[in-house]
Amino acid sequence: MTTPDTSAALPFEEHASALERIGSGPRSLGRFLVQKKLGGLGLVIVIFFTVITILSGVVDRYEPDFIFDRDNPGFLANPTIPQLAADPDIGSPRVVDQFIEPSSKHWFGTDKFGRDIYSRVIHGTKLSLIIGFGASLIAVVSGLIIGVVSAYYLGWLDLIIQRAIDAVYAFPFIVLILLIVQIAEPSTRNVVIALGFGGIPFATRLVRSATLSVRGAEYVQAARVIGATDLRIMVRHVLPNIGAVLIIAFSIGIGAFILAEATISFLGAGPRGEISWGKMVSTGRAALDLHPWESVFAGSAITLLVMAFNLLGDAMRDVLDPRLRGR
Amino acid sequence: MQQYIIRRAVLNVFVLFIVATMVFFAVQVLPGNFATQQFASANLGGVTPESIARAESVLGLDKPVVAQYGTFLWDLVQFDLGESFRSKRSVWSELGRAVPYSMELGFLIVLVGFSIAIPVGILSAVHQDKLPDYVLRGGAIFALAAPVFWTASIAVIFVLKWDLFKIDVTGQPHLWENPQTALQWYLIPMFAGGIAGTATTMRLLRSQMLEVLRQDYVVTARAKGLRERTIIMRHALRNAWLPVLTVMGLTIATIIGSQIVLEQMFNIPGVGRLLFQSIFLRDTPLLEGLVLVVAFVVVFTNLFVDVLYGLLDPRVRLA
Repeated sequence: MTTPDTSAALPFEEHASALERIGSGPRSLGRFLVQKKLGGLGLVIVIFFTVITILSGVVDRYEPDFIFDRDNPGFLANPTIPQLAADPDIGSPRVVDQFIEPSSKHWFGTDKFGRDIYSRVIHGTKLSLIIGFGASLIAVVSGLIIGVVSAYYLGWLDLIIQRAIDAVYAFPFIVLILLIVQIAEPSTRNVVIALGFGGIPFATRLVRSATLSVRGAEYVQAARVIGATDLRIMVRHVLPNIGAVLIIAFSIGIGAFILAEATISFLGAGPRGEISWGKMVSTGRAALDLHPWESVFAGSAITLLVMAFNLLGDAMRDVLDPRLRGR
Repeated sequence: MQQYIIRRAVLNVFVLFIVATMVFFAVQVLPGNFATQQFASANLGGVTPESIARAESVLGLDKPVVAQYGTFLWDLVQFDLGESFRSKRSVWSELGRAVPYSMELGFLIVLVGFSIAIPVGILSAVHQDKLPDYVLRGGAIFALAAPVFWTASIAVIFVLKWDLFKIDVTGQPHLWENPQTALQWYLIPMFAGGIAGTATTMRLLRSQMLEVLRQDYVVTARAKGLRERTIIMRHALRNAWLPVLTVMGLTIATIIGSQIVLEQMFNIPGVGRLLFQSIFLRDTPLLEGLVLVVAFVVVFTNLFVDVLYGLLDPRVRLA
């Protein structure tokens, strides 16, 4: 009995894909952390926030929507009108613990409605991560399909596709997102879709220029000569060689989408009913001069997470494609 | 060159046509229109389907979509943007009021951005991998990640706490009308927007400078005994700043994005604030006009930058 010759089934032009350059397994991860210290820091922060999201019910200390209150020392059962005018709370036996300064009980203080800010920041992590990964995935996958097709066929198709991409790019990004989000109700899913759509031009341009640089390569010509179909060439020969660009676009996109979600939430058009850091910065502005803590902590969380993804993206770009450095 | 400009300009007009179509149909699929939004926000008693229908027919919103689209395009080729549903004034006159504010703020943002990015980029490259480089790069990483609305809010906290200066958001003076009040009003948004736009430029300038400083002609200049200052300003910077110019075209979209937020926060009656209002009011003609103006600025800034690049660097051949 002869064993089937599997080597013939392998694609004859196997080339080291970009992924192999960083390798896999714990050892190369360790190398990445040592060589790219900032990237390593970014990775650690991202993992930290991911763990926080998973364990949010354990580390949050309080329910995010629980309203803290206390006994009203000046409570009067039947206040007169002038007394009520002087202190509107006088008629209620308990008052909301609003705007408490950071303390051991409330690490980040409480907000206007007497809710624990620390707990709300913890629970806000989930939305940012979902938005970042989801929108970046949509943008990169759509950008991949559009970019490869556009660069592979060129000609009229490319010209028209690129003008459409230019149009989406020229459309003010925030307006585009606000419009799409309003078409349906502003749920997390719809915000992810809207942001992903808005990110297509960036992903498409990266993929297109990467595809242009490989489409004339000898292995692509060779594949064409032996009669490979266009689809086969695109999937088996072009795709593996633009993998680096895809990973770079994906990782850099995440930070940008988190920032964009925070912006539309700040403007009051974010996902409804979710705890969002952008929305927290906005509600914290109600009493900014006296009680800035909600804005300060929520904004710090946005900055830290976006910074972590940017650092990680930069490091991955340096490792995967040194030519793109500084772009 | 001329042919290139003409070809690009024609393509840009085509792009603007796609933008116009996109905004038109996006507004069509939005739930509600100006008439329903008005009655909803007014919360009046006695609103009947008939009164909404009457308002719709006055505004022309009851015509078939294709007819509305045809009218829209026909008016557009005659540069007629229609009149705002809310103010009943022509979209052009609304633009005439809003654009100067946005240009003032945009100009100040670009000014702040470049006057930070250029010295910082040079310093960072010259002191590569030393303390100033680490500090400045750290600052850039922070500036790239911090949301503008947050940095602006934090700045407001300090201004209020220490009573640094008065921010008057009601007077809305232009820079040339009342320079001091206007500048105090623009100060925080211009720095918040400028710093946010700085990081990309600074990082690109740094990497370009590093590349140029390794070139033979810089070594030659050093060997000749030229002063370090002359080498950097005359030999290195001249060759490094051109690619930086190209990001200008890309940053314009970012700057417009932060302007929408900043105008909203500081009550600046510019294009961004008007855009925001017109979306929620469903003031269709105004929204369409504003989006087109922004898109026009973006595509033609990019063309301008590309042409300028070709003019300034003879090695670049435009085709």
